[in-house]
Amino acid sequence: MPLVRRGAGSSGAGGEPAPQRPALDSSDPDSRWAAARALAGHSEAVPELAAALGRETVPRVREAVMTALMRIGDTASVEAILPCLRSQDAGLRAAAIESLQALPEAIAPFMPPLLGDHDSDVRLLATELARNMEASQATGLLCALIEREQHPNVCAAAIDVLMEVGTPAAIPALERCAVRFAQTPFLPFAIQVAIARLSGAEG
Amino acid sequence: MSGLEGSESRPVDITPEEVQRFCEFLYRRTGMSYTQGKRYFIDRRLEDRIAATGSSSFQEYFSLLRADADHEIEHLINSFTVNETYFYREDHQLRCMTSSLLPGIAALKPPGSTIRIWSIPCSTGEEPYSIALWLMENWPEVDDYNIEIVGSDIDTQALKAAAEGIYGERALMRLSRDIVARYFGPVADGNRQIDEGLRGSIEFTRANLIDARDMARYRDFDLVFCRNVLIYFDDASRRQAAENLYDCLRPGGYICLGHSESMSRISPLFSVCRFPDAIVYQRPEADHD
Repeated sequence: MPLVRRGAGSSGAGGEPAPQRPALDSSDPDSRWAAARALAGHSEAVPELAAALGRETVPRVREAVMTALMRIGDTASVEAILPCLRSQDAGLRAAAIESLQALPEAIAPFMPPLLGDHDSDVRLLATELARNMEASQATGLLCALIEREQHPNVCAAAIDVLMEVGTPAAIPALERCAVRFAQTPFLPFAIQVAIARLSGAEG
Repeated sequence: MSGLEGSESRPVDITPEEVQRFCEFLYRRTGMSYTQGKRYFIDRRLEDRIAATGSSSFQEYFSLLRADADHEIEHLINSFTVNETYFYREDHQLRCMTSSLLPGIAALKPPGSTIRIWSIPCSTGEEPYSIALWLMENWPEVDDYNIEIVGSDIDTQALKAAAEGIYGERALMRLSRDIVARYFGPVADGNRQIDEGLRGSIEFTRANLIDARDMARYRDFDLVFCRNVLIYFDDASRRQAAENLYDCLRPGGYICLGHSESMSRISPLFSVCRFPDAIVYQRPEADHD
């Protein structure tokens, strides 16, 4: 018989979990990976995870640290992830966006300062964080942004998010934005498409 | 599907713009891709869900969906997917297993060594038994290795049914009469029970994909079938499950997901492998900084 079954007691399983907690500052990536995974959901470990996120170079371990912070999902873990939005590493910025998007309630208090950040790249990334927020909250935040935003790419990013999550309440702000950026043809066009979508939402 | 066919209520009008918004959300959330060309299919299911949730408009329903109120995302996905499980479902992956994956795995192991295959979630057993049947029917090297197949699920009732191995006609519809005759015996109510040898060869265990401690009991699998379950999880749970599965695989081991699922959208931990019969994901042999 080619198909075999392990004897009773093994339960198709390998070893039991390691009894000793591995360290996030170990020189061995497998130990750091195991440590990050063991800390998922442990809010007291946020400072340790935040420090690890800042120095970790192995992508797999960094993913595990990010997931651990996501699983905690409190204000402190959001604060630990936020600096990654300013990273020069595109992979890290993308991972931070994905993680923060999954925490729409925890990220909410941070949205006004992020959308008003002096760095347009941060403002642009922050628009994506509204994508999983409650519709009226996301609409309010993004409309406030496009009313004052001077950078067309940031407005375009906000409009793209509004197109999916916005409510018809965004239409007046979108119309004003189109007027302000009349000399930047792609924006009025994008706004026209967004307004059509949001108007459709009225049924 | 929880449709309200025959209901007296008038379906709400859904505009092309609303369908577009919905399709974009559905793709981002689940990876399922639909275009306006599938309008009839989409409208029918959307109208059903709008009615089932008591929503009065698309906008009202869309807000409820985005908030995942009352697990609406799960209900919606169920309405867009085939919920039935049956033998030889998505058999292109089984073909890929014997034509591409196992030859590669076996090339690195001496004859007589063990190859471990995991079906999670295995529900009532159709998938792990399908793997066993397919191997015996389609992989000539099957006698050269000790092949361990484990089926796991969070639902202990499903596991009990899996261990009993009794199936109705619908579950067996994709199997040839010859295979049914050779591996299944008649039992009460027109059902058939899978052969005792096969039942005894597969181990059924309880496991929760997103519980790291639970999953730590499972290691060293060469191949994992984890189909049509990650699509139901939220982002954090999906990532947790992906990391758990990574630990359960040997370096170089493979994972097969459902046809509408993509590991690339969940986690960068795995490499994408495109084989003639299927796209599967591989745990890399080593870290790349």
